[in-house]
Amino acid sequence: MDIRSVEFNEESSNRITIHHLNPHGTKPVGVVVMVAALISCVLDFDYGYGSANRFSSPPPHKEPLAPKSQHKLGEPHLSNTMPCWPKCDKKSLITDEYDSTTLFCPACGSVQRVDAFQAETYTREGPQGVNIHFGSTGVGSSLPYKEKKIYEANNLIDDIAYRLSLSAERVAEVKSTVNEVTAGEFGDANSNWFPVLVGACVYVCMRRDNKCFSVAEVGDAVGCDVHELGRMVTRVVRHLGVELPEFDIVGVFERVVGTVANSRGVERETAERMRKQGVFLVQCAVKWFLTTGRRPVPVVVAVVVLVAEVNGVEGVKIEDLARDVHVAASTCRLRYKELLEVIVKVAELVLPWGKDVTLKNAVRNAPFVIRYMEMKSMARGRSGGEKDGVVENGGFNLEEVVSECLRKNVGYMDEEGSMESYDSLYFEMGEKRGVDEIDKLHLSQECLSVVYKKFLENGGARHLGESTKGRGRKRQRGDFELHVTEWWNGKSELSKKLVLKQILEKDVGLDTMPPSFVNGCLANESRKHKINAAKLRIDRIVHPRDADSGGGGGEVCVLDDARAQKRKRKSRVKDLDWEDFVIETLLLHQVKEEEIEKGHYNTLLSLHVFNSAVD
Amino acid sequence: MAEQGAGLEGSQPVDLSKHPSGIVPTLQNIVSTVNLDCKLDLKQIALQARNAEYNPKRFAAVIMRIREPKTTALIFASGKMVCTGAKSEQQSKLAARKYARIIQKLGFPAKFKDFKIQNIVGSCDVKFPIRLEGLAYSHGAFSSYEPELFPGLIYRMKQPKIVLLIFVSGKIVITGAKVRDETYTAFENIYPVLTEFRKVQQWYASIASISLYFFIHCLFCSDCLNSLVVDRRGTFGMGSGLFWIVLDGEGFKCV
Repeated sequence: MDIRSVEFNEESSNRITIHHLNPHGTKPVGVVVMVAALISCVLDFDYGYGSANRFSSPPPHKEPLAPKSQHKLGEPHLSNTMPCWPKCDKKSLITDEYDSTTLFCPACGSVQRVDAFQAETYTREGPQGVNIHFGSTGVGSSLPYKEKKIYEANNLIDDIAYRLSLSAERVAEVKSTVNEVTAGEFGDANSNWFPVLVGACVYVCMRRDNKCFSVAEVGDAVGCDVHELGRMVTRVVRHLGVELPEFDIVGVFERVVGTVANSRGVERETAERMRKQGVFLVQCAVKWFLTTGRRPVPVVVAVVVLVAEVNGVEGVKIEDLARDVHVAASTCRLRYKELLEVIVKVAELVLPWGKDVTLKNAVRNAPFVIRYMEMKSMARGRSGGEKDGVVENGGFNLEEVVSECLRKNVGYMDEEGSMESYDSLYFEMGEKRGVDEIDKLHLSQECLSVVYKKFLENGGARHLGESTKGRGRKRQRGDFELHVTEWWNGKSELSKKLVLKQILEKDVGLDTMPPSFVNGCLANESRKHKINAAKLRIDRIVHPRDADSGGGGGEVCVLDDARAQKRKRKSRVKDLDWEDFVIETLLLHQVKEEEIEKGHYNTLLSLHVFNSAVD
Repeated sequence: MAEQGAGLEGSQPVDLSKHPSGIVPTLQNIVSTVNLDCKLDLKQIALQARNAEYNPKRFAAVIMRIREPKTTALIFASGKMVCTGAKSEQQSKLAARKYARIIQKLGFPAKFKDFKIQNIVGSCDVKFPIRLEGLAYSHGAFSSYEPELFPGLIYRMKQPKIVLLIFVSGKIVITGAKVRDETYTAFENIYPVLTEFRKVQQWYASIASISLYFFIHCLFCSDCLNSLVVDRRGTFGMGSGLFWIVLDGEGFKCV
């Protein structure tokens, strides 16, 4: 094909005219295409008989560019490049001799829904090529670009829905949402933004119906970044003017634990127990601020792993689970650690051997702690709500809880060995916890000493730490352990999904502060110490005599010239860091200590030290 | 020097009439714009100024920095300039003037027209944890809390039109103000709301002492002697509703 020139039509910038020589002369034959990207496709025509069908259905409408001089009027015009679509897929379509704009299939007789075909252009020399129109621009009929776009968009939605295993109703809802958001235009399925929009609509639809999908999960199905999807979700929500309900962390947990139970072949009864315990712990985590301001899915992973360990389900690893739910394993490990830390805290408060409970043996002690928390949660609520049982006289009967909890051990203990020798240990612990407190509990000392004895026989904290260290989850069911059915009855309301208000009203024996708040307080304390140290250093320099006579033990970096003291000073100077110097500078510029404690050093330096705002 | 006082909140006693909460948000960033009123050859500026960087493929403006006040400016070919990073309005204006002077020295007829503070960002710490879920639930019309996407609660206050980022740790970021008083007003507006959703620890254990305190506190208030109302968040209210006492970690505070 001899191409002379390719030019843009000035009237319509999205139309390109390709001029080439036809075999009969030098007159140009116009082939009008819509998009520049199709030029190469057009150029591939072997003199008009395009072989490359580069489009998915509906098929492109390519007419041969070859001269049609052989064509006689009154005979059907055969077009052998177009298949009959969508019926019989025959390759030859014909035009009616009287209505040359309509193509129909000679085999099945179906009229093609194609209106891009136009009659040949006739001049004095006869027919001069064929006009092919793509798109809606231009005069006359056009290819249904919009329908094609919507068709492909629907295909994409179906594909994403399939990957997320959505039901037909849900798919319809998603399509309706996409339709609403795009005002019926949908979008190009091959574009970057449209899949993200579909993902956002899926997420919004699921959230609106209180179903459980995480952004990460949808993002993975769509193939886009979580933040990108999040931004689109925000836009969709704003556009639709809807208010999303709170993220259903319990729902996500139930789904994940169900998947784990199925994949590991866990017995139904155990799976149900895991679910209940998990829901209980998830809601405790909500209460303990472990989920506030954090991504919920890593917490879910941590809880699933914990309940699996507690129930003796092997092979549930944080890494695997994190990969399955598309979250960072490190975050999950962090949440798991935080969960164990809280369990240790509860154990320290309520278990007689609490001081020996550490992160390493927390899992082994978790049943006792969970048992306690469960019973505590069944006690009368803070607001004086109805009691679930167990409680008497409006207060929490710690005696009953603990003694019941511990009494279970007796059956598992052998009667050998004297208990007296271990009583001292128990009483020692009792003294530390306060005699009054123990008196109040009215605990069975015998019981406790037996339990503690067994605990020590098992090797105590060290042994437990070692046994769980391997993370092979090979739990050696010893005498010390309770059977799950004995430490868990699943009757607490916290085992069912509750609203936040109800969760907060429940008392599980421990109230913790958010980790970020605690860290903030620690940082504040650290800054306070640094401020005090800096004040001392400044004081030493300003009043050297007082400092010498005082002989205080504060941190002093500038001392006398004795060699030994020099060494000391050097070592101390090393301990000082940039923060100490900044604090010193700020103090010397009369900045209030409370302001320095906030830690906004740059701002304070800018305002008080590099005081450039003075005109 | 009088002007400077506006930026010296750290060294002055807190004016409780202006800041009833006793907390003054610290201004962290001021964004201002100015029109230099002349077309600029950015390439020339980038070549002549040592403190400038210009990569037209990446961003169509010269990025210029000065040390004093420590700020960054975006200088566009149209002559418009954005100055960021200042800690006070005065600093921002001074910095913008310095940039304009630099441009003048490079041979452009730069003026200093239409200087305007576009955004003020402040932050503070209320020193108690906040139950974001509860706040999002009860102030749903103004709040957006999506922990999957962002750890803080985004509170869009209508009057003044300010956005607050509220974090569980009690840290607050206030942005969108054109004048610093809007920042302060927004914080004073939100503070009572935050106290509603503060985390109260072990309040139920101390209820007897609270009642005693309450009785002593309100001896002279005949309206309050009748009843003690305790809501689920640990907020204690007197019968008349005139007095509210909130328990915090260090004692009790009448709000």
